[in-house]
Amino acid sequence: EGPPSCPKGCERCSEFNGCIKCKPKLFIFLERNDIRQIGVCLASCPMGYFGMRNPEGNNRCTQCKIDNCEACFNRNFCTKCKEGLYSHSGRCYVSCPPDQRTANDTMECV
Amino acid sequence: ICLWCFLRPGAAGQGQSTAVCSPSCSCDEDGGADCSGRGLTTVPTGLRAFTYYLDLSMNNITELPAYVFKNFPYLEELRLAGNDLSFIHPEALSGLHQLKVLMLQNNQLKTVPSAALKNLHSLQSLRLDANHITTVPDDSFEGLQQLRHLWLDDNNLTEVPIGSLRHQANLQALTLALNRISYIPDNAFANLTSLVVLHLHNNRIKEIGDNCFAGLVNLETLDLNFNNLMVFPKAIEALPKLKELGFHSNDIASIPEGAFHNNPLLRTIHLYDNPLSFVGASAFQNLSDLHSLMLRGASMMQDFPILTWTNNLESLTLSGTKISSIPADLCEDLKLLRTLDLSYNEIKELPSFQGCVQLQEISFQHNHIQQIDRDTFQGLSSLRLLDLSRNEIRVIHRDAFLTLTALTNLDLSMNSLTVIPTTGLSVLSQLKLSGNPQMKNVLTAKNLPKLRSISVPYAYQCCAFVGCDSMTSSSEENDVKKSTGGEDVERISMIMHCSPSPGAFKPCEHLLGNWM
Repeated sequence: EGPPSCPKGCERCSEFNGCIKCKPKLFIFLERNDIRQIGVCLASCPMGYFGMRNPEGNNRCTQCKIDNCEACFNRNFCTKCKEGLYSHSGRCYVSCPPDQRTANDTMECV
Repeated sequence: ICLWCFLRPGAAGQGQSTAVCSPSCSCDEDGGADCSGRGLTTVPTGLRAFTYYLDLSMNNITELPAYVFKNFPYLEELRLAGNDLSFIHPEALSGLHQLKVLMLQNNQLKTVPSAALKNLHSLQSLRLDANHITTVPDDSFEGLQQLRHLWLDDNNLTEVPIGSLRHQANLQALTLALNRISYIPDNAFANLTSLVVLHLHNNRIKEIGDNCFAGLVNLETLDLNFNNLMVFPKAIEALPKLKELGFHSNDIASIPEGAFHNNPLLRTIHLYDNPLSFVGASAFQNLSDLHSLMLRGASMMQDFPILTWTNNLESLTLSGTKISSIPADLCEDLKLLRTLDLSYNEIKELPSFQGCVQLQEISFQHNHIQQIDRDTFQGLSSLRLLDLSRNEIRVIHRDAFLTLTALTNLDLSMNSLTVIPTTGLSVLSQLKLSGNPQMKNVLTAKNLPKLRSISVPYAYQCCAFVGCDSMTSSSEENDVKKSTGGEDVERISMIMHCSPSPGAFKPCEHLLGNWM
C-alpha cells in the first residue's frame, strides 16, 4: 500500500497536487480543480481520454483529438462516437459519406 | 420492435423508477452502477436486471465464478479493470448477449480467457492490456464477430498471435505494444482487412517479413517506434492507405530509393533517433499529404532529396548530411514551406528562395556559404528568423534584406564579414555579429529602430548603441532624448543589450583592435 495519505493506486503524492506517481500499469490523470491540477490514478481513463502506456511506467491519460468522440483508442481513432453519430475508420459522422450506407445496429458507416 | 428499450428507464424516457442499488454501489437512474474502488472481493448482489453499465474496477476481485452475471441480460459495458483477477470461469460471462465493452486490463491473467469470451457475440471492445498474458489460444476470439477494438499491450507476448486473429475481419484497432515480440512473419495480419490502427511500439522487433503486412489494405496508422529494426520496413509497400507511420528509435541505417512509393497518403513519418547514414534521393517523392519531414544526421547523404509533388510540406529539416547544394527549383514545389532547417551540412551556395513566400524561419548555420545575393531572400515578407551563423560569408548584397519586413532575429555571427547592409531591417530586434574579426567599422543604429539586443565583434562598437559615457552595465535602462526636428522632445525608454559591453578595460576608443 502507498503511504497512508496517498489516494488509491498512488505511489507518491503531495498534499497540494494529489498523486505524483502512480503504481505500475495505472494511468495518471490530471483532474482540474479550480487553478490546481490534482493527480489521480486510474485503471482506465475518463471519457474523452485514452491511456498512453510506456515502458518507463509513467502511463498517462491523454486527450482524444477527434470531433464528437466519447472514447478513443489513440489520438486519432474513436471507439465510441457521441449518441446519434455514425463511426467510420475511427471518425464520427452526423451522416455517412455518400459512398457508404448506415448500419443502425452498430451505428457505423459500412 | 425492441421491447426492452421501452422497459429501460432513462434510455427511452419511460417514467422515473427509483433506482434499486446495492449498498456497495452508487446507481443512476439510467441503469448505470458504479461499484469501483470499494474493496470488494466479489460481484455485489442487489443490482437491477436493467443495469446496462457496471463498473467494478479497482476492487480486489481475484476470480469470477460461473454465471456471476446471469442477472444482467442488458449489460452493455462491464468494467473489471484494476482487480487481481487471475481466473475467469468458462461460464462466468454467460448471458451477457448485449455486452459491447469488456474491460479486463490491469489484472493478473496469464492467458486469454477464451472459453469465457466465446458467446459474447455483441462485443466490440475488449481490453486485456496490462496483464501477464504469455499465450493467446487460437480460439480466443472465435465467437467475437463484432470485435472492433482489441488491447493486448503491456503483456508478455513473444510473438504475434496470428492464429487468434485469423477470423477477425471486422477488427479496426489493435495494439500489441509493450510486449516482447521480436519477429513478424509474412501474412501475420492477412485477414485483418478492416484494420485501421496497428500499434507495435516498444517491442523487440529485430526483423519483419517483406510481406508481413499483406492484407492490411485499410491500415492508416502503423506504429513501430522503439524497436530494434535494422532494415527499413519494406513491408509497408502493402499499405496503400497509410497516413501515419512511426519507426523512430530503431537501428535503421538507410532509407532506400522509393521507400514510400506505395504510400501516397502519408501525412506524418516519424523516423528520428535512427543511425541513418543514407537516404535515397527519391524516398520522399510524391507525398502530397506530407506536412513535415525531419531528417537529422544522415551523414552519408549527399543528394538533396527529390521533393516533386511533395508540395504540401510546411516544415523541412535536413541537417548533419553531406548535402552541398540546394536545387534551384526547390520553391517551385514547396510553396507552403514555413520552416526550413538545413543546418550542419556542406552547402556552398544558396539559390533564390523567392517562391517560398510563406517561409517564417530559416536556419543555414554551420555550412560553407560565402555570399548572399540580392535575390536570395527576396520577397520573403513573412520571414521572422534567419540564422546564417558559422558560415564563410564575406559579401552580402546591399539590398539582400530589403524586403524582409518581418525579420526580427538575424544571426550572422562567426562569418568573414566586414560590413553588413541594414536597409530593410526596420523591425529587427536581435542582431548577432560576433565572430566577424574583419568587421572593425563603427556600426550605427540608424536603420535599426527596434533593435533590443546586439552582439558585435568589438566592445567599442557597442558605444553606438548604449551611450558609453555612463560606463555602466549596458543592460541597464537608458533614457535617450531624441530631437525630432525641433518638435517636442520625445522621451524613449529603451532597454538595449549589447555585448561585449565596454568597460574599464575595454574603453570605447579603438585601441589595438580587439582587447579581449
